[in-house]
Amino acid sequence: MNKKINKFTQMMDMPRELDKKQTKITIIAFDELLIENYKGIMEYEEFYIKINTEIGVININGFNLNLEQLTNDDILVKGIINSLDIERSN
Amino acid sequence: MIFRILFFYILGYLNIEVEGIFVERFINICKSRKILLWNIKMQKSVILNANISIKDYKQIKQVAKKTDTKITIKKKCGIPFILNKYKKRKIFAIILFLVIVLISSMSNFVWNIEISGNENISKEDILMALEEEGLRIGVYKGKIDSNEIINNIRLKREDIGWIGITIKGTNAQVEIKESISAPEIIDENDYCNIVADKNAMIVKINTQNGTANVKEEDIVKVGDVLVNGYLEGKYTGIRYVHALANIEAKVWYSKKEKIYLTQQVPTDTGNIEEKYSLKIKNFKINFYKTLSNFENYDTINESKRLKLFSNFYLPIEIIKTTNKEYIMENVTYTSKEAIEIWQPKIEEELKQQIENPDNIINKQTNIYENNGYIEIEVIYEVLETIGVEQKIVF
Repeated sequence: MNKKINKFTQMMDMPRELDKKQTKITIIAFDELLIENYKGIMEYEEFYIKINTEIGVININGFNLNLEQLTNDDILVKGIINSLDIERSN
Repeated sequence: MIFRILFFYILGYLNIEVEGIFVERFINICKSRKILLWNIKMQKSVILNANISIKDYKQIKQVAKKTDTKITIKKKCGIPFILNKYKKRKIFAIILFLVIVLISSMSNFVWNIEISGNENISKEDILMALEEEGLRIGVYKGKIDSNEIINNIRLKREDIGWIGITIKGTNAQVEIKESISAPEIIDENDYCNIVADKNAMIVKINTQNGTANVKEEDIVKVGDVLVNGYLEGKYTGIRYVHALANIEAKVWYSKKEKIYLTQQVPTDTGNIEEKYSLKIKNFKINFYKTLSNFENYDTINESKRLKLFSNFYLPIEIIKTTNKEYIMENVTYTSKEAIEIWQPKIEEELKQQIENPDNIINKQTNIYENNGYIEIEVIYEVLETIGVEQKIVF
């Protein structure tokens, strides 16, 4: 079923992030980070954010990190981002 | 997203501080319960600063209990809180409301009528005509049908050629073009005489068509026939024509004035009384005693209509009354002084009657000195073309 939908979205040339299981990370100028389709926040400090997603964990290091917007699907992080690493879970 | 946040600025939001060890859990539970948080900032790893809407604040209390965190409100923002401030100032709110209602209801009436373009017709006359049709000060704007008013006035009055009414705010602007009554034009094929329109002495008569009735140096009165509209031939008999002639004549303009040598002349003493009064529609409030302290005085009334903006006239007038005191003084002139003062005045008045002052050929001044008074007579001799066409009625 899932694969069928995948094929359908590919055929229709639809954005992949419409699927809840696909995470999209957008970085603008190293001070704005948008994560679409996340599961939850594992850790949140001023200098470190750990975000859990369907495909793995995203770690953000930096200073004055704020969660500017927090909705059901997206997080917008603002602040000085020093490094970003991802841990693939499967 | 941005729109939702902007929406909460209107509905009101709170700035809260969440204190606890498991702040991340608090955020995750908020997410699962679909509670919107924005501008989340971490302070010292145990205190979280965030914005939340008023509606969600009730739910967040349960979340705080679950996660064992403490919530304190730091700031209240948005319109509901601003309005709350004014709940205590009831009278202010009521007056503000009343003022808004008053202004909006008053703007539905005409409070001023401006008339422009009238030269011979008086302003009062036009205002009367407008009032008959229903346009007067204080009338409801919705009732005015300017097209109908224009049509009715134009039907009733012949001296108004064109009338336009524009209502701007509370100000009705009435523009008028007076119609000029055209002189009766006699067709060139019609038979006509030429008749004198002024008392004059003929200087030159040049008949192009018709038979001259007068000679040069004849004196004619108003209504005298100058050129008859027929030709008489020995064999053809009388044949009627359209008379055509160029007649030049001397016309006299004279003015006689009696001037007393001792006169009572008003002289200003320089004392001025200024009084103000307020007029609301037809109700007048005086801020002073109506009687003046002066025995003889001139009164000057100045009225000013209040307006809010450029076109929003209020039905309130401020009237300024200035009384200028004067004293009657007996002044005695010598006859020479009197002539010097009065003669130019008479000449000036007389010259206004003359159509073309360049054609003056002679001026005569007669002065008769009597006991106690003198008489000045000024006569102008003017060269003019005279004669108007008059249709021959058989």
